[in-house]
Amino acid sequence: MDITYVGERLWAGALGNSFVVIGFTTALLATIAYTLGAKNNDPVWKRIGRIAFHTHGLTIFGIVGMLLFMLTNHMFEYHYVWQHSNSEMPMRYVFSSFWEGQEGSTILWLFWHAVIGNILIFTSGKWEQPVMAVFSSAQVFLLSMLLGIFFFDSRIGSNPFTVLLREHPDFMNLPLFNSPNYMDTLDGSGLNPLLQNYWMTIHPPTLFLGFASTLVPFSYAIAGLWKRNYQEWLKPALPWTFFGIGILGIGILMGGAWAYESLNFGGFWAWDPVENASLVPWLTFVGAGHLMLIQKNKGTSLLWVYILSTLTFFLILYSTFLTKSGVLGETSVHAFTDLGLSGQLVIIFAFYGLLSIGMIIWRAKDMPKKKEDPLWSREFWLFIGSLVLLISSFQITFSTSIPVWNKLFGLDLAPPADPEAHYNKWQLPFAIIIGIIIGFAQYLNYKRTDFKVFIRNVLRDMIFALLLTIGIGLGVGIGNSLYLLMLFSGLYAVIGNLSYLIKVFRGKIPKAGSTIAHIGFGLLLVGALISMGGQKIISQNTTRYDISTIDSTYKNNENILLMLDDTVRMSDYNVIYRGKEKEGIYVYYNVDYLNKNNEKEFTLRPFIQLNDRMGNVAEPSTKHYWNKDIFTHLTYAVIEDRKVQKEEYHEPDEHHINIGDTIYASNAIIILKGIRGISDPEKKASYNLGDQDLLVEGELVVYDFDTEMHVVHPHFAAIGTRAVSFPDVIDKIGLKIDLFEIDPQAEKIGIKVFEAKNKVKDFVIMKASVFPYINVLWVGALVMFFGTIIAIINRIQQQRKS
Amino acid sequence: MKKSHIIGIIIIAVAIGAILSTLYDSSTYADFSEAFSNEGKEYHVVGKLDKDKEMQYNPESNADLFSFWMVDNNGQERHVQLHKAKPQDFERSEQIVLIGKAQGDDFHAREILMKCPSKYNDANGDKFLSPDEMKEIDQEKKRSAAL
Repeated sequence: MDITYVGERLWAGALGNSFVVIGFTTALLATIAYTLGAKNNDPVWKRIGRIAFHTHGLTIFGIVGMLLFMLTNHMFEYHYVWQHSNSEMPMRYVFSSFWEGQEGSTILWLFWHAVIGNILIFTSGKWEQPVMAVFSSAQVFLLSMLLGIFFFDSRIGSNPFTVLLREHPDFMNLPLFNSPNYMDTLDGSGLNPLLQNYWMTIHPPTLFLGFASTLVPFSYAIAGLWKRNYQEWLKPALPWTFFGIGILGIGILMGGAWAYESLNFGGFWAWDPVENASLVPWLTFVGAGHLMLIQKNKGTSLLWVYILSTLTFFLILYSTFLTKSGVLGETSVHAFTDLGLSGQLVIIFAFYGLLSIGMIIWRAKDMPKKKEDPLWSREFWLFIGSLVLLISSFQITFSTSIPVWNKLFGLDLAPPADPEAHYNKWQLPFAIIIGIIIGFAQYLNYKRTDFKVFIRNVLRDMIFALLLTIGIGLGVGIGNSLYLLMLFSGLYAVIGNLSYLIKVFRGKIPKAGSTIAHIGFGLLLVGALISMGGQKIISQNTTRYDISTIDSTYKNNENILLMLDDTVRMSDYNVIYRGKEKEGIYVYYNVDYLNKNNEKEFTLRPFIQLNDRMGNVAEPSTKHYWNKDIFTHLTYAVIEDRKVQKEEYHEPDEHHINIGDTIYASNAIIILKGIRGISDPEKKASYNLGDQDLLVEGELVVYDFDTEMHVVHPHFAAIGTRAVSFPDVIDKIGLKIDLFEIDPQAEKIGIKVFEAKNKVKDFVIMKASVFPYINVLWVGALVMFFGTIIAIINRIQQQRKS
Repeated sequence: MKKSHIIGIIIIAVAIGAILSTLYDSSTYADFSEAFSNEGKEYHVVGKLDKDKEMQYNPESNADLFSFWMVDNNGQERHVQLHKAKPQDFERSEQIVLIGKAQGDDFHAREILMKCPSKYNDANGDKFLSPDEMKEIDQEKKRSAAL
């Protein structure tokens, strides 16, 4: 077709694409130059490598800038912009739409690599060439994911700049594109409303910064093997490693906080495959970091340092493969759809997998060997702790990879039906061991330990932790013995480190970063355990129907039915569903919580997001106290209003009464307050009455069973000899009241009361639970993060001094 | 025996345990005929909702029971009792995975996974709207905003 399209801004894509191409070439050039130069520490190659990588960094900034520019200027002619934004989207979500798609998230990753790489060039000193050679190679592979070119019939990468909507295979035949002016009517398909959320703005960049920082110890490790310098690289790599551990940890927990706040599974961790995929590299990263400490101080765990630091980066790539290849498909809510790039992803992680294994085997004989650490040394237990982390990550990876095993071996396995039980069964014991090691390892000296002093310290802390465990266990009501052990282990980790902080560091915070981080980690374990283990579902099915008679495993009595305005007892509260309100694309359902004296404590507003692209989504609402959260979400709700229809009334009851008399309806008490004649001609006209016609207004007060008062004004008119009545309706309780007769002789007033046939009021079905002390978890996360930061600053300062 | 050997043996034992436990905990996908020939054993059954047959949900009497008819991938149709609240947007589901067991004539599901137009990656994201349709949606949005 030879259509000249009007209004397309093709220059933008061309510019963005040229950034991609230059970025790719410069990364390749940097890799080659640094690799060649690393052999003899050649200054010329080093110069070329530097210039190439700096240029590469600029092009990455160019790519980021260009994509942001295209998104802010609504260039919907480009597929990526069309798919992830629209003209109505508030600008504060522009970053969310930036990394909503695969290409955008790859760019985010590239961006952090470019930032870190440019810092490394200035800080890595004599390690620059081998480290940057490995580092740049990752950029080559990552940028190849954006190339979008064809190579022998297979596509390499998916380019967000060149794919014009009208050239996209799914859309190119649409009649819309026969019009050269299609740009005039085109709007984007918009950002998924679920992701229009501030978490979406901060969670991905934090997580990807964590991902990116794993490349630093990996590059150093490979460089060390390459240059047969097995010891010196640890010093510059350590701050980066612990920086990455802190950031990645916070990134993962942000995901948890997001899930807790806006997803319906009622918790911050659901062992979702994608959550697991980011947790696993964190576990090995923590293991790697601690082993690096041992190796630096004592030189006794070199092989394991290499295994864990390379494995961490490999697992980051594997996690990317899991989320981006579409292999997880239906097993996860997070996974991207397949862009047909899984082959390319496999090549990338096969390359780094083989590179790591090959290098380690190649140098294994050459590595210095040291004797084992004695049993009661700090190193030995740090080592055991790291191995526990490794096994723990193995277990998670193996179970999460079930869809991969299915593909590889042609199996038809379904993931564990109850993932929480499956993972907890394994991960709780691992966490218990880790907590206890964290508690006592500090008291072990780097050489041999004075055993008596050690035992005294450990026993004191353990007794203290035990007492607290019993107290909290009884207080929150945790009966499960494994949970109690976990609680003890977490508390012991906190107390052990707290006492170490006081006794040994005497509160000197700047030196005690790691101790503080461990206190935080202990608090995190305690908070997670108490809030999940002590979680109580307070909404109970109040019907007599007992489903557990069918099978003892069916105990899903977790939902409560709330009829509009009915007061229902729920645990320590009386709850009332007060109706719904529509605000934009959200329908809020107001639920009042009253205390035992029926005084209102608070209102929760779980809501449903009307989402025409993905179906409506219910989101929870939570009341936060310092010591507990009350979490509610809708399991069933009607979005449209139920209207009482005229035809749907029962035969009316007729009453002939006096003023002040009471009528009893099945759901209300009605009192006739009075009648009065209306002479106002305008009002008469509104009932189509002439001036000479008679209009009477009745006033009745209706009390429903919630003791709410309604006032109704039915009207009665006499047009000549013909009587007409205008009834009044109370929709809420389904009553229609008609003033149909006024009998002056008998001094009686005729009232008809119509009751709606379908009195099914509006209702919601809700699930509510209490999470006790969940704030301990969030506080622990922050303490851990700041402890890590303090430790890094201290380490860098020490390096400067020496 | 050296400490490292003992540690090594323990690690291998735990790893094998983890693998076995995963295989044990992972159920298998099955169809109705298999599930009904092994009453009481838990299965994942994949199928589609029969939208023409009656769906029953009486939250007034039991908010945790919902029944419907599902056709499995082999075309066999069974009455399903789901022991949960009726999922939001159930009618929109394209595919259903039930986790539960057969009992008498009914399949009792304790858990349900629906493949709706998915939450995050929205399979329908590429749905193209004509300018008219877009105008309609815009008007709808304005109308609902006015409410």
